[in-house]
Amino acid sequence: MKPETLARLLILFLIIGLGAAVAVDRLNARQGIVELHARIAEDGGWTPDVIYAAAGQPLHLRLTSDDVMHSFAIGQSDQPAVDILPGQVTDLTLTFDQPGTYIFYCTRWCGVNHWRMRGTIEVSGDGTQAVAIAIRPLYVTLDLDIDAPHPALAVPSGEPSAVRGAEFAALLPGSQILTYQSPDYYRFHFPSQAFLDLRAEPALSHLTDANVWDVVAFIWESNTTPDGVAEGRRLYAQNCAACHGETGAGDGVFAAEVQSAFGQAMSTMQAAGGAPANFTDPQTMLGASPALLQGKILRGGMGTGMPNWGPVFDDQQIWDLVAYLYTFQFQKEPK
Amino acid sequence: MELTRSPLLKAALKFRWPQFILFALMLTGFLLAILSGFIGTPVGSRNFGIVFTWIAWWAVLILVAVPFLGRGWCAVCPIPLPGEWLQRGKLLGPGETGSGSGMNRRWPNKLRNIWLQNVTFTLAALFSSVILTTPVVSSVVLAAMLFLALGLALVFERRTFCRYLCPVSGFIGLYAQTAPIELRVKDKSVCAACVGKPCYNGNASGYGCPWDVFPGGLAKNTSCGLCLECLRACPYDNIAINTRPFGADLHKPAGRRMDEAFKAFIMLGAALVYAAVLLGQWGGLKAAAYAVGTLPWLGYAAAFLIFIFGLLPALFLLAVSAGRFLSRNPATPRQVFVSFSYSLVPLGLTAWVAFSLSFVLTNASYILVALSDPFGWGWDLFGTAGQAWIPYLTNVLPFLQVGILVAGLVWSVRTALKIAAESLAGRKVLFQSAPVALFSLAVTAGLLFLLV
Amino acid sequence: MERVFRIEASQYAYNPGVIRVNPGDTVTIELVSTDVVHGLYVDGYGVSVQADPGQTTRLAFVAERPGSFRFRCNVTCGAMHPFMIGKLHVGQNSLLWRGIGLALLAAIASTAYFVLRRPSLNTDH
Repeated sequence: MKPETLARLLILFLIIGLGAAVAVDRLNARQGIVELHARIAEDGGWTPDVIYAAAGQPLHLRLTSDDVMHSFAIGQSDQPAVDILPGQVTDLTLTFDQPGTYIFYCTRWCGVNHWRMRGTIEVSGDGTQAVAIAIRPLYVTLDLDIDAPHPALAVPSGEPSAVRGAEFAALLPGSQILTYQSPDYYRFHFPSQAFLDLRAEPALSHLTDANVWDVVAFIWESNTTPDGVAEGRRLYAQNCAACHGETGAGDGVFAAEVQSAFGQAMSTMQAAGGAPANFTDPQTMLGASPALLQGKILRGGMGTGMPNWGPVFDDQQIWDLVAYLYTFQFQKEPK
Repeated sequence: MELTRSPLLKAALKFRWPQFILFALMLTGFLLAILSGFIGTPVGSRNFGIVFTWIAWWAVLILVAVPFLGRGWCAVCPIPLPGEWLQRGKLLGPGETGSGSGMNRRWPNKLRNIWLQNVTFTLAALFSSVILTTPVVSSVVLAAMLFLALGLALVFERRTFCRYLCPVSGFIGLYAQTAPIELRVKDKSVCAACVGKPCYNGNASGYGCPWDVFPGGLAKNTSCGLCLECLRACPYDNIAINTRPFGADLHKPAGRRMDEAFKAFIMLGAALVYAAVLLGQWGGLKAAAYAVGTLPWLGYAAAFLIFIFGLLPALFLLAVSAGRFLSRNPATPRQVFVSFSYSLVPLGLTAWVAFSLSFVLTNASYILVALSDPFGWGWDLFGTAGQAWIPYLTNVLPFLQVGILVAGLVWSVRTALKIAAESLAGRKVLFQSAPVALFSLAVTAGLLFLLV
Repeated sequence: MERVFRIEASQYAYNPGVIRVNPGDTVTIELVSTDVVHGLYVDGYGVSVQADPGQTTRLAFVAERPGSFRFRCNVTCGAMHPFMIGKLHVGQNSLLWRGIGLALLAAIASTAYFVLRRPSLNTDH
């Protein structure tokens, strides 16, 4: 063979080889595997943002990020979140037993619009339709306007303690304690309302205001478990602290951005100008019932930048979060 | 010492296949780099295009090829290849008569300098933050160079892109003047008697110098691309590759030019600015350099241009003028400015070596990853895709940098003294060189401050 | 001495970008990411930490080695990630001062060497 021909073959071989290697990989990739690209919401979020699967059939995902650290999680499921690293590929296989629509979302803050990174997995098939029977949230059942201002009817002078409150609550007749401690009372009343109710109780009339607040703290704590509060703390740190602040004071790293982006929109609503709520403010918290808080968390802020967590958290997680939020007002442990 | 005295080495260099295999590998790598930018992950650190161009290739270029081999990279660069192959109608060796394509026009006389290369390098420098970090942009730049080289080859003769336009070629040529190897003729009288000058015009054994250089008149390394065609073509075996001391060409007064002088400032200034922007802790500067097209970037670009084309040369002019005054040097300000700017060549080279060491060692761990997973698609060709990022030699690096920068300063000062000694005598040498040395010292201090 | 620094990380800088401690200090860096997940890796010490926005993390170490060290991000956080850099000064940056001193001495020495070794700096060329 002439050297020139050999030379030309070599170049051809290398270039075609290059193209072939790429083409072969791409062709292989098509077979039933979904390549899911994550980008920050401002650059498009998830691509694709709708994925189709069949019930009982494995869904193979290849997760990659095109910019920063993201992660992949399925709403209201036990599927642990999977980190998605920039420029790297993580393989994940999911199998859905029931057909329905599943939400997937990002769990690692990737900008102020991180929470908007959501997509859906449409799982087809027969089998009992996992119809998410829309359980009407409490605020709807109660016809509660969760956007209206909710000032506290009264505020304590110090930080109420549930441990002290337990002793004082023992002064009440047994059946009454049970009523106050019931989930219904807890969910539908706000703390300053409870304060006024308890203030009016003859059995407690000799107590100081501070002590009555202790009983309120006790009642609130009765509706939580240490595990629940711990879970609430974990969820708060991961999902809420970025805007609401690690100390709950509404001063998170995105607070300023959220306020400036949505402050104008809030002029039509009566609530405070678009800033993330300050959970350390007794005026805000002690006028808010658990049902109201649940509603806010479920539905989000109607243009304020407060995300709607309904598709992401399940019922128990929201109550755990609510339980944690009140700990900004009431002492967790005795001093 | 003449390296080509060794028959083995000479035969190896003349044999076309080793060079061609290198060409083939470089071309494949280059095309892979371009491809990666267009179809691979947009994350720079996991993309073959970014990692292999701006970390691996750059490291080899600035740390090994340029200091020790001058234009050694140009000898194997893939960019001119498609154009040249079309020009000759052949991949291997000279073309047959009438086999090539292209108009073979002569490059205009007015452009026979490196001003265009100064411009292309400066342009690249202004956009460098984006080029170095964004795969698709880097690929556009590389592809543009490829197509430009190809287009120019079909219009003009020889390697016009390489000689007059390539931004990299501009500084490789300048720094090649310091390299310890050279290609020169052995005996000029042989060339005088030679009819046909096949080293320049080509014959059956080798095609004529693609760099438009007449080897018989080659005095400096600046424009010789070490392609070795003249070695193959010369029927009198009159071409040799020699070793020589570092910096030899800097002390040849003939042929010192303003365009090369400014190249020295561009490179020195760019090293200082890059060190500040890329390796410094000033976020505002970084943001301005990266946000191409915005007002802050325009401010940055203006400051950059004023610094390298205005401030730095002006300060240097001040220094050489002070020296000229103190030494009663009869030469004109322009003459001293041009000749002494060659003392900045070793300074610039060591500045780039010291600066590059920093980001190369910090990011070298990405090289093994990119080799196994060039597109960021989850491949693992060689089993190294899972390598975690780890910076190398962070303890040793600052000491290395001090050593290199101080060595560069000493080299630069000696160069200035020797340049002064070309035309002055006695204490005048000292008076002329001292302010220049002071300038170099100040620049060195600035680099030390930014890097260490 | 105990030193605590709250460092905010954003694309692509740290604030403060420079921190100074004395050799032997116990340094705690509270890393607060303000936009995406960032990290902080200290050259020379090899210690690092990463933080998500909303979750401040802490890195504690004893600054036993004197000198100046860059700290950099070690979680890919966007295009300019490899250049997201800050500086930690433990005591004086003695290497810098010595380097400058060395440069000055070397310049003077090489000049002197050159001048003294060529008693007849002729104009012949």
